[in-house]
Amino acid sequence: MEWWEVLVQQTINGLTRGAVFALIALGYTMVYGIIELINFAHGDVFMLGLFISLFWFTLLGVTKTLTAWQLVTLLPLVFALTMLSTAALNVAIDRAAYRPLRRSPRLAPLITAIGVSFMLENIALLWQGPAPIAYPDVFPSVDILREWFGVDSAIFLTTKDLLVVGATLPLMLALHYFVTRTTWGKAMRATAQDRETAAAMGINVERTILLTFFLGGALAGAAGLIQGMYYNIGQWWMGYQAGLRAFTAAVIGGIGNMPGAALGGLAIGFLSAWSDQYISARWTNAIVFSILILVLVFRPHGLLGERTPEKV
Amino acid sequence: MRRASGWTALAAALVLYPFVDRALGLHTIHAVSDGMVYVLLALGLNIVVGYAGLLDLGYAAFFAIGAYAMALLNSPLLGSPLYGHAWSFWLCIWAAAAVSALLGVVIGAPTLRVRGDYLAIITLGFGEIIPVAIRNLGDITVEIGGWRPIERLNLTGGENGVNPVGRPYLPGVSFETDPAPWYFLILVIGALSVWAMSRLQDSRLGRAWMAIREDETAADCTGVNPISTKLLAFALGAWFSGFAGSVYAAKLQAITPGAFEFQVSIMLLCMVVLGGTGSLKGVILGGMLITVFDRVLLSQTTFFVRWVGRTIGIPALTTADLTLWRWFFFGLGLVLVMLVRPQGLAGRRVRPIAVVDDVDQPTVQEAAPAARAESIPPWLRERVQRGGGPESAPILEVRGLTKRFGGVIALNGVDLSIPRGAIVGLIGPNGAGKTTFFNVVTGLLRLDGGRITFDGASVVGLRPNAIVARGIARTFQSIRLFPHLTALDNVLVGQHCRLTATVTGGMFRTPAVVAEEARARARARELLAFVGLGGKGADLARNLAYGDQRRLEIARALATEPRLLLLDEPSAGMNPRETETLTELIGLLRRELALSVLLIEHHMEVVMGISDRITVLDYGTRIAEGGPQEIQRHPRVIEAYLGTGYEDELAARRGAR
Repeated sequence: MEWWEVLVQQTINGLTRGAVFALIALGYTMVYGIIELINFAHGDVFMLGLFISLFWFTLLGVTKTLTAWQLVTLLPLVFALTMLSTAALNVAIDRAAYRPLRRSPRLAPLITAIGVSFMLENIALLWQGPAPIAYPDVFPSVDILREWFGVDSAIFLTTKDLLVVGATLPLMLALHYFVTRTTWGKAMRATAQDRETAAAMGINVERTILLTFFLGGALAGAAGLIQGMYYNIGQWWMGYQAGLRAFTAAVIGGIGNMPGAALGGLAIGFLSAWSDQYISARWTNAIVFSILILVLVFRPHGLLGERTPEKV
Repeated sequence: MRRASGWTALAAALVLYPFVDRALGLHTIHAVSDGMVYVLLALGLNIVVGYAGLLDLGYAAFFAIGAYAMALLNSPLLGSPLYGHAWSFWLCIWAAAAVSALLGVVIGAPTLRVRGDYLAIITLGFGEIIPVAIRNLGDITVEIGGWRPIERLNLTGGENGVNPVGRPYLPGVSFETDPAPWYFLILVIGALSVWAMSRLQDSRLGRAWMAIREDETAADCTGVNPISTKLLAFALGAWFSGFAGSVYAAKLQAITPGAFEFQVSIMLLCMVVLGGTGSLKGVILGGMLITVFDRVLLSQTTFFVRWVGRTIGIPALTTADLTLWRWFFFGLGLVLVMLVRPQGLAGRRVRPIAVVDDVDQPTVQEAAPAARAESIPPWLRERVQRGGGPESAPILEVRGLTKRFGGVIALNGVDLSIPRGAIVGLIGPNGAGKTTFFNVVTGLLRLDGGRITFDGASVVGLRPNAIVARGIARTFQSIRLFPHLTALDNVLVGQHCRLTATVTGGMFRTPAVVAEEARARARARELLAFVGLGGKGADLARNLAYGDQRRLEIARALATEPRLLLLDEPSAGMNPRETETLTELIGLLRRELALSVLLIEHHMEVVMGISDRITVLDYGTRIAEGGPQEIQRHPRVIEAYLGTGYEDELAARRGAR
């Protein structure tokens, strides 16, 4: 491969990884925006999303590549089922572990979030076992450049890459529309700015928080499904790492800032792909965490976010 | 004393345990020794999390650093020229602690400017980076365009770790196959560490940690330097994990990077949270419970469940393995403790306001007795009157003070001067910039223009605690005490910047430190008595009545031995009787101590009654300055703040009394 082909290939990899990170990061940023909690368990909701989608596929009898007809019927159905499941899971986590601590010091719900994360990981471990789980190759993989355009190139661009973009982009746009254009979205933004005032204006704050967890969970579920279809593998511990990377993405974009989280996700995707290629995959984690630390210390409002005065 | 007997019982049990173990043939000494290492680690984490209130999610990194410091210095096998020969264990253990402490400072430094939950994530990041670095530094090859300046350099042993690690040498004691010497070695190190920690907890530094944990801003404004205090928490927390790590490495004779993952940090956090953050006994208890749970209960219950499965005939149970669930249980434990008992098993319960004491007191709470000149502590008189500048120069001189928040000009070229021994009132409508003025003078906010001269020297750019040390103390509009510290401790924190005890001094309690501490306590009691809180020294600040809290805040400010006192609405929320007592107290401070006071106040009777001069702010601009009579007639003041007819009203109220 020529050097530029390597670069293009890694950039495609980065884009697909980044799209998944972006979906997870949106959940972090929404929850932090509204209740100032780093929802540590969010990465594990993503991981469970992968296994839950696998469960739905199995239940629907899908074990091999979907036909064109199934793609337009079954795939949206599995998307919906998975997203609903993880959304319900995320809401349940909030009700059980965070809601009782709404008025506690800020570190208390963070500690329970870590506890929940451990519980979810171990539920997955006991459910699926410690070995990597093969995820069926449900989405047809076509080498686009070669088979559609007849270009003989070392670059490998498949329909799966299109799937990632094609599934992620509408979800993000829908979320953006929901948050900026609907009454519920307005309630979310108001609650994020000032919970007390929002409550005084007649907004049902608890219901708004519930909605936030619901949306965040749904996106994490979609990310899990996409991850499974793209990489065809699932492991019980993958949520921890993906979660931390997605959190880094949210921080880079300015936590609480939703377009920022999406862009931050892409940035982390590119960075990790390039780091794998040009430095060494062994160091990628250290690099991502160094970026996280540097941003938190020097630009805690993110690279995009405007400075907002700290709430006292 | 119950307290002492609890420790004695624990010590006796631990000393006798190996003999019991041998007599009964339990073979648990190894496991108990490992458990003690983890308890020691949890105690170190408790310094950071429990005392200083900094959530550290990457504490296992320090454990790793301690272990690797020992292993690398004390292993003959590594090929690197840096570690040519093995050093003595007894030397390495100190080196390991020192290296850990140093890294504690390095890792702590960037987190100082970061808020609580971000700090937690940063420590987690470090906790992830360090094992990655240890793994990868075992085989470093740097290649730049075919040129390889470094090839296959092994710094850390990589994935395989370091093996073997040298044993300690002690004449007559064999650290070979017999686990008992290891047990006692760890016990001695643990006991010495607990002793040091209990000393630290009750020292000047321990109080400063807890003040930072309770309210960092208030601590800064009470003379505690948050930067050095937090760094010391990281350094000392890491110091003890250096001990734990190095003993652990030497005992195992081999270490691998896998032993220091995120899970270890969380297990240690479990121990601290379960036992009760900030309580030595609690953390020891939590550590023992979790170790027993992890090493004994889970495996024994598994046997039991399998037995039940075989007896009843449920095949699923016969193969059950509860030890696989251990991390699930740790997670569940964290959630349950935080939901059900956030203060932990041994945590100090927040005492309700004592009911028993009320029996011999009148049911209607009597306002505190007015402070009397005789009850002013003599040392305070002396300390307040110290100082440099000439009598005629003002104690505080502010010129052209400007502060902007984005486009809003909160203070616009404000001048204010406080003559020595004068009470100056600062009034104006809400949002006029009065509290901003306080915040700029005390160093909480950076100014955008102007000069602030205190006693002849500029205080611009100083940190709040440095300004307190110069002699400016303040109270807050919304009371900011250290709610979970006692009233006495609150005042003692005020003394912080006047005390000199060092870390080692506090640990070894040198005669000088003991004398200083005794004097500080006596002074704190005198101050409490002076403001009318005598006998309430042992109450938690949060349990005091509102008026008492206000007076405690003044006592804490006085403990810093100020020459200028800034009071931000001291009578807010007080009833007329309390207000009157407070007015007398402020007047007394000026009359008897010649203490200069700058007073923000909305009670016009108070301001007009005791101020020598009054400055009026409106929209960040000084609109008037003068004596009380002058101000009351000033047309702009009446328009902006007092309102027309104010004079008649005040006169009528005076007449009515």
